Amino acid sequence: MNAIEITGLSKQFTGKHMIKIDALKGLNLNIAAGEIFGFLGPNGAGKSTTIKLVMGLLRPTSGAAQIMGLDVSRPESRYNVGYLPENPAFYDYLSAEEYITFVGTQFKMDSTLLEQRTEDVLIRLDLWDARKRPMRGYSKGMIQRVGLAQALVHDPEVYILDEPMSGLDPIGRALVKDIILDLKARGKSVFFSTHITDDVEKVCDRVGVIVKGTLVAVDRVESILRSGVEGYVIHLQATEAESLPFAGIEALRRTESVSEYYVPCSGFNAFMGEVNRTGTNVVLVEMKRRDLEDFFLSLVK
Amino acid sequence: MFSIIQTTLKGVFRDRVFQGIMALAVFFLFIPSAASLSMRQVTELSITLSLSLISILLFILALFLGATTIWKDIERRYTFSVLSLPLSRTTYLVGKFFGIALFMLLTALFLGTVSILVIKFSSVLYPPSRPILWSTIIVSIFFDALKYIIIVAVAMLLATVSTSFFLPIFGAISTFLAGTITQQVYEYLQSQSAQKAVSDVVRNAAKLFYYILPNLSGFDLKVHAIYSIPLNSSGLLLTIIYFFVYTGILLAIGSILFERREMK
Repeated sequence: MNAIEITGLSKQFTGKHMIKIDALKGLNLNIAAGEIFGFLGPNGAGKSTTIKLVMGLLRPTSGAAQIMGLDVSRPESRYNVGYLPENPAFYDYLSAEEYITFVGTQFKMDSTLLEQRTEDVLIRLDLWDARKRPMRGYSKGMIQRVGLAQALVHDPEVYILDEPMSGLDPIGRALVKDIILDLKARGKSVFFSTHITDDVEKVCDRVGVIVKGTLVAVDRVESILRSGVEGYVIHLQATEAESLPFAGIEALRRTESVSEYYVPCSGFNAFMGEVNRTGTNVVLVEMKRRDLEDFFLSLVK
Repeated sequence: MFSIIQTTLKGVFRDRVFQGIMALAVFFLFIPSAASLSMRQVTELSITLSLSLISILLFILALFLGATTIWKDIERRYTFSVLSLPLSRTTYLVGKFFGIALFMLLTALFLGTVSILVIKFSSVLYPPSRPILWSTIIVSIFFDALKYIIIVAVAMLLATVSTSFFLPIFGAISTFLAGTITQQVYEYLQSQSAQKAVSDVVRNAAKLFYYILPNLSGFDLKVHAIYSIPLNSSGLLLTIIYFFVYTGILLAIGSILFERREMK
């Protein structure tokens, strides 16, 4: 069973002067169990609309979505989900501890387990010291961490995170990445939206790119990265006098003891064969590739 | 639903606006001296002023809580996190309503206790000519609370479709004003003079509003409390049944509308 199944999901909003706006157009997407899926797209592309439709906050114009086999129009479908909204806000008159307990109660958690899990997530997200204070005094980063804590507390199978790194400092971002990788190791499914490609590259199995309400690409991150390899920069131990062309490729730069060559993928084997034949030492091989950001930008443009 | 009720109650008690409104209860302290200015019927005036002050406070609270609770949750984006939990919107709405209704009853209990102390104090200083029917005063306060709980339900119903708090606030005020006089209007329309003076269209429109708008006159027992008039138990029972049916209908309509609302 897929963690999330989205079939022909569309959403049309009616704007000012009754103008129809297609926020999402016929989205088909499956997230497998245990998969980390990054949902990339520029601002206003339809990422949050998709997530709100899956969470039952919006009603689809057409199409359907299921979480762990349950239609999202049923509140029970959300028992298996930990959801972090975009720029979350929580009852600010409650403390983090009270709010996490409230959330756990909605998931019908056993009180002893809830107490233990509340303590665990608050410690993990570095909110333990602030747990008794009303959230109206929290910083934006702390609220974001409360959002993650309330998504984690009931240990669901599926996580839907809308811009989870937003508003976090580098330490917080690293923490979120750690948490996602930990969830991955535990076989959980994570569907998260972002417009920061680096987040996706580091943690995701697959990535989908949405532009103007249409899913324009879905692929495995590793295959995008592999297909994006354009060539190599190879550093050879050779003095200026010894730095000859290999397989017809001239050195780009030369220092006293090291010469640097740019070798395209197609010429790599021939270049390395000649280097081996001459007995020249290889100091360093650097991969030159288009990264996920280039891939994303090529799709968006 | 219990945790929604509990959270709603916490929210109300910790709200500074509520604390400000409740600070108005300090006016109870002035009731005995104000009532003594009447020279006669000091106790009756104490009862009138106490019950009126309770009414005013409950009315302000009903407007403030009924109109702003859901609107605030949507405006401050709390609904994104709460409505994505595995609970239906009906549970959320009804839980919120019960939380506020419970709070209104607790407030009525508190204000009622204070007013009984105030009336007792006045009656000791200026013994009344008629015996005070304490049970009637208590029942009157209870029915007053029920009346304002209906106003809460009206405001919440309007809040389920409104994007601002204007419609819930002014809609609830209008409903309250109209609901207080619908019975008199209806009785007038049945009179002989009205048969001649009012056209059929107006009479039918007024009757339609009589059935749609809440009839709040049955909840007003102040005169019984002030002048120690015995209560009609079957009338009270009917009013309670009316309260449950009318509130139930409002919540049912509110739930249907709120289920369809888009959380953009």
